[in-house]
Amino acid sequence: MSQKSIEKIIALSSDLRWQIGDDFHDNLAEGIYADASEIAKNSVISNNKKKRFRLDTKIDKIVTSKTWGFPIMFLILGVILWITIEGANYPSSMLANLLLNNFHPILKTLAASIGMPWWLDGFLIDGVYLAVAWVIAVMLPPMAIFFPLFTLLEDFGYLPRVAFNLDYLFKKSGAHGKQALTMSMGFGCNAAGVVATRIIDSPRERLIAIITNNFSLCNGRWPTQILIATIFIGAVVPASFSGIASLSAVIGIAILGIFFTFFVSWALSKTVLKGEVSTFNLELPPYRPPRFWKTVYTSLIDRTIIVLWRAIFFAAPAGAVIWLISNIYIGDLSIASWTINSLDGFGFLLGLNGVILLAYIVAIPANEIVIPTILMLTVMATGIAGGEGVGVMFELDSASETATILKAGGWTLLTAVNLMLFSLLHNPCSTTIYTIYKETKSVKWTVVASLLPVIMGFVITFLIAQIWRIVV
Amino acid sequence: MNTYNPVNALIIFVSISVLIYLIFRPAKGWFWLIKNSFIFNEKTAIEDILKQLYHFENSGKDANISSLTGVLKFKDSLVIEVVKLMTISKLIYFEGDVLKLTKSGRDYSLRIVRVHRLWEKYLAEKTGIDKLEWHDRAEFMEHKLSLEETNSLASQLGNPVYDPHGDPIPTNSGKIAKVKGVALSSLAVNSIGKITHIEDEPDIIYKQIIAENIHIGSQIRVVENNTKRIVFYSEGEEFKLAPIVAANLTVAILDPTVLDKEITLRLSSLQENETAKIVGISKESRGESRRRLLDLGFVKGTQISIDLMSPLRNPTAYLVKGTSIALRKDQASKILIKKD
Amino acid sequence: MENKVNSVCGSCSQYNIKGLKKLGVNISNFDFVVAIAGNPNTGKSTVFNALTGLRQHTGNWPGKTVVRAEGAFEYDGQKFKLVDLPGTYSLLSTSQDEEVARNFILFGKPDVTVIVVDASRLERNLNLVLQILEITNKAVLCLNLMDEANRNNIKIEIRTLARDLGIPVVPTSARFKEGIPELIQTINDVATGKIICKSYRIKNVNGNIDKAIKKLSDEIEKEIPTISNSRWIAFRLLEGDNRIINALRTGELV
Repeated sequence: MSQKSIEKIIALSSDLRWQIGDDFHDNLAEGIYADASEIAKNSVISNNKKKRFRLDTKIDKIVTSKTWGFPIMFLILGVILWITIEGANYPSSMLANLLLNNFHPILKTLAASIGMPWWLDGFLIDGVYLAVAWVIAVMLPPMAIFFPLFTLLEDFGYLPRVAFNLDYLFKKSGAHGKQALTMSMGFGCNAAGVVATRIIDSPRERLIAIITNNFSLCNGRWPTQILIATIFIGAVVPASFSGIASLSAVIGIAILGIFFTFFVSWALSKTVLKGEVSTFNLELPPYRPPRFWKTVYTSLIDRTIIVLWRAIFFAAPAGAVIWLISNIYIGDLSIASWTINSLDGFGFLLGLNGVILLAYIVAIPANEIVIPTILMLTVMATGIAGGEGVGVMFELDSASETATILKAGGWTLLTAVNLMLFSLLHNPCSTTIYTIYKETKSVKWTVVASLLPVIMGFVITFLIAQIWRIVV
Repeated sequence: MNTYNPVNALIIFVSISVLIYLIFRPAKGWFWLIKNSFIFNEKTAIEDILKQLYHFENSGKDANISSLTGVLKFKDSLVIEVVKLMTISKLIYFEGDVLKLTKSGRDYSLRIVRVHRLWEKYLAEKTGIDKLEWHDRAEFMEHKLSLEETNSLASQLGNPVYDPHGDPIPTNSGKIAKVKGVALSSLAVNSIGKITHIEDEPDIIYKQIIAENIHIGSQIRVVENNTKRIVFYSEGEEFKLAPIVAANLTVAILDPTVLDKEITLRLSSLQENETAKIVGISKESRGESRRRLLDLGFVKGTQISIDLMSPLRNPTAYLVKGTSIALRKDQASKILIKKD
Repeated sequence: MENKVNSVCGSCSQYNIKGLKKLGVNISNFDFVVAIAGNPNTGKSTVFNALTGLRQHTGNWPGKTVVRAEGAFEYDGQKFKLVDLPGTYSLLSTSQDEEVARNFILFGKPDVTVIVVDASRLERNLNLVLQILEITNKAVLCLNLMDEANRNNIKIEIRTLARDLGIPVVPTSARFKEGIPELIQTINDVATGKIICKSYRIKNVNGNIDKAIKKLSDEIEKEIPTISNSRWIAFRLLEGDNRIINALRTGELV
């Protein structure tokens, strides 16, 4: 086989292609299907021509109907979220109690009994162990409830209908109907939401879904929102309304997140992503009864455990860093104090403070540890009584004690509002960033997805802070 | 901290934002203007002149200096200077007032046309860029690609014969297919034809054609033609165009006696409880989208009916070869059917 | 790992075919490579899981398996490595999934390609089957979801289908582990050469194009006499597939 004759073949193919014209692909595709239908005609005997299966048609008529389509959808998604939040409460506090209140002191005693030096004990048990324990306690229960439920719906075949119902709205913002599902998945966990974008087979719409997934308030951020809303928003209104006021504030933030999803999707599709290929097709598969235990098992293995494992992998070093920056001194001040002081000015411009910014920097690996870190740093920076010691994250059982500490740290209603906004609009956690990189294989889109929300967060909190100060 | 004042902070923020906008806004931003000013050099001017002369020659019109300066965006003095240079390098010559291409000039101009049309084809097939932007991007790229890059682009695209507007793409050796047809505006009432070309210049008229949802490759029948407007039927819909717009559509006239009488419609016009057979996919559906439709079984002869309408009426799920597949309205309008 | 999986499965009757060991992800020193291809949503991953004893997630939703999943089983003393390819409707387009599947079947030269199809949507699925058969004839058609087809009164004449395609056809319901032993047996028979498949060539190709393809594939065969899928190579060359052009130049196809 000579190189020359190979080149001749290639040249021949170019020439032939030009002679055949542009319909080659169409003709080939038609030819294959013509063969396919001849073969199928020979061997398939069907008593049930044309129409799809009757039960499927009946279900479809209801779940995509003008009247019932949307109510059924919101009801199902609402119930899933409610079961997740309500159902996770108990196991979460049990886990927290076990890992933080019982196990942590036992470990400390153990360390003391074998004569572990204080710095190693602090670094490992107060730093690494606490961060990991926190992440597990906050993250595991909701994910272990949310993902199996979602996967059951997926296996049944309902989710494609949701995409079908909502596609028109997503199309308006340049996105794909299936983004409704990756967005919902993001309410559980952004990293899982990013992985789920694989179902979107159009390159442009998939990137949009990946980049905007962070605007879905993930379950690592719900507790922060609820706590801050309870303390500060609930306090603005009369006591009897405080529950409703704080709940509406949290839901308002989540809805604002959905609004940003649409807005940013639209902006991306009109600017940086307009060159990416965009296609649409959505197969509505037949309904199949899910096999309950198998689904629960695979969703736990494939989604929950993998995400949890990655989160732990990233949280452990974060815990170590938190302990280290609080315990290593440069001159009179710890690294943490230095950083807080230098971030205070910028924090003030944003209506936040240095403690919050530092907490968000060290808590990039896991949003779950933001509040414990803020509390620890506030106690350290203000020097008030309370807390568990330098570099030891903690949380308090009662909201009012937490409020006392935060107010001592100089927090106002503005700080609270901006913290809630910043919690929505900041860079994705490192698990998500890593997942985005793995899914896109592109540094560029990973950087865009990481920086875009945090820049938006800076701009919006900045604007609110200035206007607030002018008006109030 | 002493100088802090929320009003000042806001003012500084707003002015920085405005500045960034002025520098980087699309097309007219200072950054782009400066960048582009480096691009307009002599080579660009030579190639643009060659291309224009080629178009003049093709449409059978004579070109002189003033008709050239009329269509080019360069300063008149630059055009005159470059024309002088080009006669020296024997790309063009004068016959009296009239400018003519030499053999090497024509070859060069064909290469430029080839890159331009290939790049439009590339944008249509391999990217998601909107069709309104194809022309400008190709205008830019035609001066950029080397011969080698052009050839590898062509083979990557499968050596296409026509660009997405229906213009023939010259081959590497300068072969070029013929476009058959006449301007739509010149068609008599009741004549039947097929749209073979949609001119993308000038921009304003092209935008109107696109807004009308007129598809290349579709069959038309003229029902009215006067100085005010041209009305024609195509794929079950009625279109009304001003003559100046219709002049930018090229139509190949078909012999009405050999055509079958059944009417081809767009899938988007199918009603629930109706069934139809697919006739084909419009040329207007391109690239990955078109391939995907073919792969999913939207091929000639396939039975199709509406399976489900979404609550907002778009998309619609169609039953094709035993499976329910949802398509958006704009996709459905590019699939042609015959109702049963 | 080997023993554990084996003992767990020893208790389920359908697995008790002689000499079967599910090896999970334990792949080393395999004797044969088996690719699993198919349309999305045909239960391809379920078949993969049933063969390997793995529990990869499967969703009722096209597009789950994006990365290539691998597993293995042992039958009759021979080790089979399984590669679960992404589900695709076709192999003619440019999407990343299709490239992975196409290139693996062409360049990975699997000993057997199992094509999983949905029995109740045979015509649609045959589109991909016929394309794969242009690349390789060492294939087995796994007619999956037979339970759904039966429920909807769709009957398929297995022997006619096998005759028309030239490859063995095995009806299965992978969800209920039905037909899996027969599938394994058939994979083994094709791999070891006990069953010899015929080549299927797409017939309904438009005259002009057919001529061009004939001309091109004759040239290719002249250059590379050992090639069995010159027609597919011709298809791809006419599509302008750079991967194939490069493969020709580097001699990868010999």
